[in-house]
Amino acid sequence: MATGPPVPSQAGSPVESSSDEIRIANSLSEIARVADLVDSFGARHKFPNEVIVALNVSLDEILNNIISYAYEDAGRHDIVVRLALRGGSVEAVVEDDGRAFDPLAVAPPDLETTPRAVGGVGLHFVRKLTDELTYARRDGINRLRLTKRLP
Amino acid sequence: MKLVEAVTEDVTIVEAYGRLDSATAKEFGDRLTSLVQGGCRALVVDLQNIAYISSAGFRALLIANRATVESQGKLALCGVIGEVKRLFDIGNFTEEFLICPTQAEGIGKLRQ
Repeated sequence: MATGPPVPSQAGSPVESSSDEIRIANSLSEIARVADLVDSFGARHKFPNEVIVALNVSLDEILNNIISYAYEDAGRHDIVVRLALRGGSVEAVVEDDGRAFDPLAVAPPDLETTPRAVGGVGLHFVRKLTDELTYARRDGINRLRLTKRLP
Repeated sequence: MKLVEAVTEDVTIVEAYGRLDSATAKEFGDRLTSLVQGGCRALVVDLQNIAYISSAGFRALLIANRATVESQGKLALCGVIGEVKRLFDIGNFTEEFLICPTQAEGIGKLRQ
């Protein structure tokens, strides 16, 4: 007696998937979908809250930069975010087809000036909250990889 | 992001829920600014139920703080705990705000 449809098996992934991908449009409201994905990916893999927060804040800074500054036209562009487990780390890769921008080349902000400038702190958060950042530009695509070690 | 507001005599309390990031900072900042423009001179913003704040959220908080000061008002934050506290420290924002442990203490500070 059948008890229901067979569970589809994914070729090459006999266990629960350890990577997720999302494609969003270049609109700030789309960032909520990325944060939802990070929350569910983190819950599924039992990440501590500090890791989920580090990923969410870092991705928010990077995606906000891309959506606000990367495009020279007003058209729709896709941005891809991939999350993956790599050994004892979680990796987030962001790909966009905006203008070339290497966030690693940006000088750290001045955090001491009073009154505080209301900008420039975003990449500081990314540097402080991640363990490794790599940037590459290939075939018109910016590819930024963030690595966060799991405690 | 959800905002729950309460008014006790001369002080307005805004409890924020969810993520304070680039997707929600505008709605958050606009609401605080409109409260100040509407005559609110004592504002307590409770961040206890905020999951995290990114630079866009801090920007909205700084702007609201300045708008309040420019209107001879005061803004206090409370519920700055856990990961949110850590983000305040990393961004060196702690000194920029009047931060109180609880809503009641925030209200008390603003009435001094």
